Order: sequence, then structure tokens, then C-alpha cells
Amino acid sequence: MSATTTETGTSFVPAAETLGAVLAPGARPPRPGALSASMTFGWRAMLKIKHVPEQLFDVTAFPIMMTLMFTYLFGGALAGSPTEYLQFLLPGIMVTSVVMITMYTGVEVNKDIEKGVFDRFRTLPIWRPSTMVGYLLGDMFRYTMAATVILVVGLVLGFRPQGGVVGVVAAIALLVAFSFAFSWVWTMFGLLLRSEKSVMGISMLVLFPLTFLSNVYVDPATMPGWLQAFVGVNPISHLVTAARSLMAGAADTGEITWVLVSGAVCVAVFGALTMRLYNRR
Amino acid sequence: MTTPSTRHPRPHADVLRDTATLTGRILRHWRGRPVSILLGLLFPVLMVVMFGYIFGGAMAAPGGKYMDFLIPGMLAMTMLFGLESMVVSVTNDTAKGITERIRSMPITTTAVLAGRSAADILNSVVGLAIMIATGLLVGWAPNRSLLQALASVGLLLWLRFAFTWVGIYLGLLLKTPESAVAVQVLVWPVGFLSSAFVSPDTMPAWLDAIATWNPLSATATAIRELFGNPSWSAGGWANQHSIMLALAWPAVLTVIFLPLAVRQYRALAA
Repeated sequence: MSATTTETGTSFVPAAETLGAVLAPGARPPRPGALSASMTFGWRAMLKIKHVPEQLFDVTAFPIMMTLMFTYLFGGALAGSPTEYLQFLLPGIMVTSVVMITMYTGVEVNKDIEKGVFDRFRTLPIWRPSTMVGYLLGDMFRYTMAATVILVVGLVLGFRPQGGVVGVVAAIALLVAFSFAFSWVWTMFGLLLRSEKSVMGISMLVLFPLTFLSNVYVDPATMPGWLQAFVGVNPISHLVTAARSLMAGAADTGEITWVLVSGAVCVAVFGALTMRLYNRR
Repeated sequence: MTTPSTRHPRPHADVLRDTATLTGRILRHWRGRPVSILLGLLFPVLMVVMFGYIFGGAMAAPGGKYMDFLIPGMLAMTMLFGLESMVVSVTNDTAKGITERIRSMPITTTAVLAGRSAADILNSVVGLAIMIATGLLVGWAPNRSLLQALASVGLLLWLRFAFTWVGIYLGLLLKTPESAVAVQVLVWPVGFLSSAFVSPDTMPAWLDAIATWNPLSATATAIRELFGNPSWSAGGWANQHSIMLALAWPAVLTVIFLPLAVRQYRALAA
């Protein structure tokens, strides 16, 4: 071990071999693969839910409340009877509830940036997008859970999908896939905006018009012309129509294709923007 | 030897002057945060647009004009929305220690609470004006005399006055601004389980009973009658005596919550 004398005293600089022996006693572990890293971050997102179960309020209580409220309070006035209205409403409420909780992806990203955890992740020798993909994988569990909760409530209230198990599973899969794609919009805002409140504010500003100015609650034919025009181009309307068709057992391939293509565009555009922002931070 | 200075008894506080001062304080606060006040006032407008245009065409409203049914309901609903902002305002003052400061001053409890109530009533007058203007813009047609229209406004402000005391009491009870969010759990069910948006007749029997006897429904039905708008209901005692109920319900709420608010305010020292 060599010794160096300075004005303040003697400092010891250990030899490289000594340091090596202490710090790396075994072989260096292999660099984790893209899937492995993403799954690890996905598991981290799941653990957050375990430790802060209040997060699940929006996934459980809110959708149940919405389903009950619209079915029983407005069902009679909108469709003659609550049960009849439920057949029309349930796929739409499922879409609304899941799409509404996509914003929490951006909120979580923003929280991690604020806490400084994010900077730690960036120093790790992992596939760059894995942190982002991890957030979204964790959220996919939430989306599936929200959809399942609504489906169960619907079945209890009298919802009877003609498409059977296959149709329902396909509708939920399509919804979760689209929500995964749509979540990239909020990861971008999570990186772009300074505070958690700003992310929530912006997302509410976008999500409320998208979910309400759609065909979720009523047939657009009953709306004024100017509203119908917006509802027609609203991606949520296309997603609802696709989900309804799958649950009804009469798959609308045109709408399903539209949803999948728009989802792919979302990932391509907002995924790229997110990674660009992530790399520049 | 110096004679000890005699302490003069403080003259009885001028309740009206103190009330006006505290009302002014709250109004000045609002001037400092115009965006949140504006959003609060415009939220019911957003609800009118949403329900009127999105659901309106599909609603089986009497006479085919859902707007004529909706606007009076939304006017009543606007009175309820003030409850949430009142609770937040009271809890904010408590959290910042302002309530404690005011309590240490030679001001009567009546003036402190009445100041809040008066400011809230002034705010609701602005809210009502915006809502009535919105209603007229979207095609709502009140077709009775000006006197009956003023009576409707009176009933609405009477309801707001009652809700003000509920808000003050809950605000003093909850203490922290974070817990004030829990008031939404009260506001939304009361608002929706009423005849504000649809007739209770279209709801299942058990919900029909709740909605019919809701204080908000009484005011909504009464002002529909006074404005000459369709009531979309098959009759029943509550509908036939809606004006009486619209006077009675707020009175009952005030009799219960005003003393509770005063008691809670005085208990803050304990």
C-alpha cells in the first residue's frame, strides 16, 4: 500500500489489486436484458400498490360508484329501465374508468423525479426505456383490475354480454393494450412538467372532454351536430365501439383495427418523445 | 406612589360592523385568488353544457325540452356546490392559525360566523347570476312573472344560507384542509340523489323515495313551479307541497347546524 504525504498529513492510497479484491470478490454479474429490467421495474410498481393500498381507490371505489350512479339514477330516463341501459353503458364505463386512471403513470414518474429516485435509475447499466416500461407494466395490472371490478359489478347488476367469456376477455385485452399505449402520453407529461399537480391538471383537462364527449353514456345520434362531429373523431368513441362489439359477440374489425393502429401511433410518437426527454434530463 | 391605571371595560362590540369587516376580509381573499373562484363559478356552467347537450337529447323529458327541466335543478345544485368551498375555506383558516387569532380578538362569535355566511351568500348571488345567464343563453325559458322569479332566487339563497351553516360546522369539525376533501362524499350523493337532473319517478322505488325527500329536490321542484317549467313528476305529496318543503328544509338544517357551528367554534379553545 502506498502512502502520500500532503501538507495536512499522510493519506493512504490503496493499491488497485487490494481494491479489486475487496470490491469484486466474484465474477461481475451479466447486464440484465431488456425484458428482465422492465419486469423488475414493473414489480417495483406493484410493490408500491402493496405498500400504499389507498392507490387502489380509483381502481375500485370510483368505477363502482360511476356504474351504480349512471345505471340507477339516469338509466330509467335514458333507456327506459336501468337493466336495459346497463347493457349499453357497461363497456363504456369500463373504458372511461380505465382510461381515466392512465394519468397516474405520469404522476408516478413525476413523483420519482421529485424524490431523486429517477436519477439513481439513470446510473444503472440497464436498457434505457426499462424504467418507463416498468411503470406501464405495473399500471397494466391496475387497468386489468379496474376492468375486472367493473365487469363483476355489471354482472351482479344484470349485465349479460352476448360475446361470452371470449368476447369479454378480448374487449378487456384491447382496452388494456390501448391504455398501455395511451399511458405514454402521460409519461411524457410526467417528464415535461415540474409538479405532480400540474400533471394531474393537464391530464384532467384532456381526459374529461375525451371521456364525456364520447359515445360512452348515450348514442351520439341524440346529440347536436357539432358535438356529433367531435364524438366521431374521438379515439375513446372508437375504443368504446370496439369493446361493445366484442362484448356483444359481433366484432367490428374496422373499429378494432382503428384502435390498434392509433395505439401503435401513440407508442411511436409519445414513446419516442418520452425517451428523448428521459435521455436529455 | 403611582396610582394603578383603572382598566376600562370594553364597550359592547358592534356586531354589524364586525360582521361587515370579516365579510370584507373574505371578499379580499377571493380577490387574491381569482382563478380558483372563477373555476368554482364556472363548474356548474360546465355541468349544464355536459348534461344539456350530451344527455339532453336522450332524456325523456316532458315537452321534449330537457333544458327547461335541467336549469332550475342546476340552480339548486349551484347552491350545494358552495358547501365544499366553505369547508375548505374554514379548514384553511384553522390550519393557518387565523381562526385562533380572530378568537383572541374582542369580536363576538356571531360576527365571525355571520361574516363567513354573508360572504358566501354574496358569492352565491354571483354564481346564480352566471347560471341564470347561461340558462338563458342555452334556451331555458322561464315563463312566469318577475315577482315569482325573485321568489325563486329567494328560495335558492335560503337553501344556500342553510348549507352555509352545514359547511361552517363541518369545516370547524374537520380542522385540516386535506380532510375537507371528504366533503365530496357528502356533496355528490346529495346532488345526484335528487330531482336536479332527472325525475325521481324514473329511478328504482328505493332511490325514488330518497330523491323525492332530498332538501335539494324540494327547492328544485319549487323553483320549477315558480319559473313555470315542467316538473316531470307524477304528483305525490312532496311535489304538491314543494314550496312549503323548500321553506321548511333549509329552516330545519339551519336550526340544527347553526347552533352546532357556534358550539364547535367556542369549543376550539378547549
